[in-house]
Amino acid sequence: MANLLWLQGGACSGNTMSFLNAEEPSACDLVTDFGINVLWHPSLGLELGEGVHKLLRDCVSGEIPLDIFVFEGTVVNAPNGTGNWNRFAGRPMKDWVRELSEAAQFVVAIGDCATWGGIPATAPNPSESSGMQFLKRDRGGALGAGFVSKAGLPAINIPGCPAHPDWVTQILVAVATGRAGDLKLDEFQRPATFFTSFTQTGCTRNMHFAYKVSATEFGQRKGCLFYDLGCRGPMTHSPCNRILWNRQSSKTRAGMPCLGCTEPEFPFFDLMPGTVFKTQTMMGVPKDMPTGVAKTGYIKLTAAAKAAAPAWAEQDIFVV
Amino acid sequence: MAEDSQASGADESRRETIRKLLDAGLDVEAFPRCDSHEQVQAVVRRLQGLDANDLPGRLVVAGVTNFTVEHPEAELAQPCETCMYYLVHRNYCELPELDIPVEPDWSCRLWRI
Repeated sequence: MANLLWLQGGACSGNTMSFLNAEEPSACDLVTDFGINVLWHPSLGLELGEGVHKLLRDCVSGEIPLDIFVFEGTVVNAPNGTGNWNRFAGRPMKDWVRELSEAAQFVVAIGDCATWGGIPATAPNPSESSGMQFLKRDRGGALGAGFVSKAGLPAINIPGCPAHPDWVTQILVAVATGRAGDLKLDEFQRPATFFTSFTQTGCTRNMHFAYKVSATEFGQRKGCLFYDLGCRGPMTHSPCNRILWNRQSSKTRAGMPCLGCTEPEFPFFDLMPGTVFKTQTMMGVPKDMPTGVAKTGYIKLTAAAKAAAPAWAEQDIFVV
Repeated sequence: MAEDSQASGADESRRETIRKLLDAGLDVEAFPRCDSHEQVQAVVRRLQGLDANDLPGRLVVAGVTNFTVEHPEAELAQPCETCMYYLVHRNYCELPELDIPVEPDWSCRLWRI
């Protein structure tokens, strides 16, 4: 049996909504099949008021062994570093976060807000939000760069806006069943099994990417969304086209450009007007290249690929 | 098939009209090239403000030329044939605000790769 506690900071509850829709395994499977005891969760917990307060105190003191501490949302530090804009159970949430993280065997940060600050931490960051161990790309965050939990791991970051439900439940199962040692984390403490390939990996528009055929308007079933509509699939690490959403689809399959929500810089360009859903260029060349591609090589490849493009690549082949 | 043929004929007719306008010395705004995103957006907004039937106006604002322009600073040739909006098999610019038949060696200042 592994005790799990889930708290929310500066959050929209999107990751909770996502978690409750998990299928492989489901949130119920965690309890019935994998021995996870949910001590409390904002949407599922039974205790109220003093009952929650006591539970949290018991977790901090060790009276209740805390195996997994899950945090969703940013750690709010406003105003002036006090954290009083986000009080919970009688004190700033950030104080609970620090003490519970120190008491837990494993700490799991769910969603962009908990991992790197996400949308709340976008400049000018009025809530003085940060992630658990990062603020955007900078190490540190609420727990500090050197933090490791009792089991010896840093916070396990599962980013996304929201995180895919199965990324969450599969990592929780791995931790709860004693297989945390199998988890390889990347430089941003993301499980490598999910965040090594790209969003583009498995995208149904890859043939259009290869032949440099662009989608120029939303709703087009032909064309790649990278060239004009701001898709970040070629430079975003996520398995969104390998582990499909609702077991059905993905943003790019549905014609929606990837926003790069599993990367620390999300939302990109601080949401300046004109930067969302539009590929940013400099002298006609994309500012952000597909990962690992150099500008000169890109230009040469594009010319060759366009010249070689077959007629079908310029047509809608997903006919109904 | 008949529809494709009609579209091809209509494209060729419009391409010929554009060719004649450019050969006659239509004073297009080929420079400055749209180097930044803001410049691109400014030109696109001007195109969106034009009457849908104002073909010469679109050519002028987009800076369409019947020859390839090389970007002066980037030393980068900017022909239609390498542009992301160009349909190779139709010889056509698919940028919604331009939407014109072109030739591979033509050019405009909204070129993007």
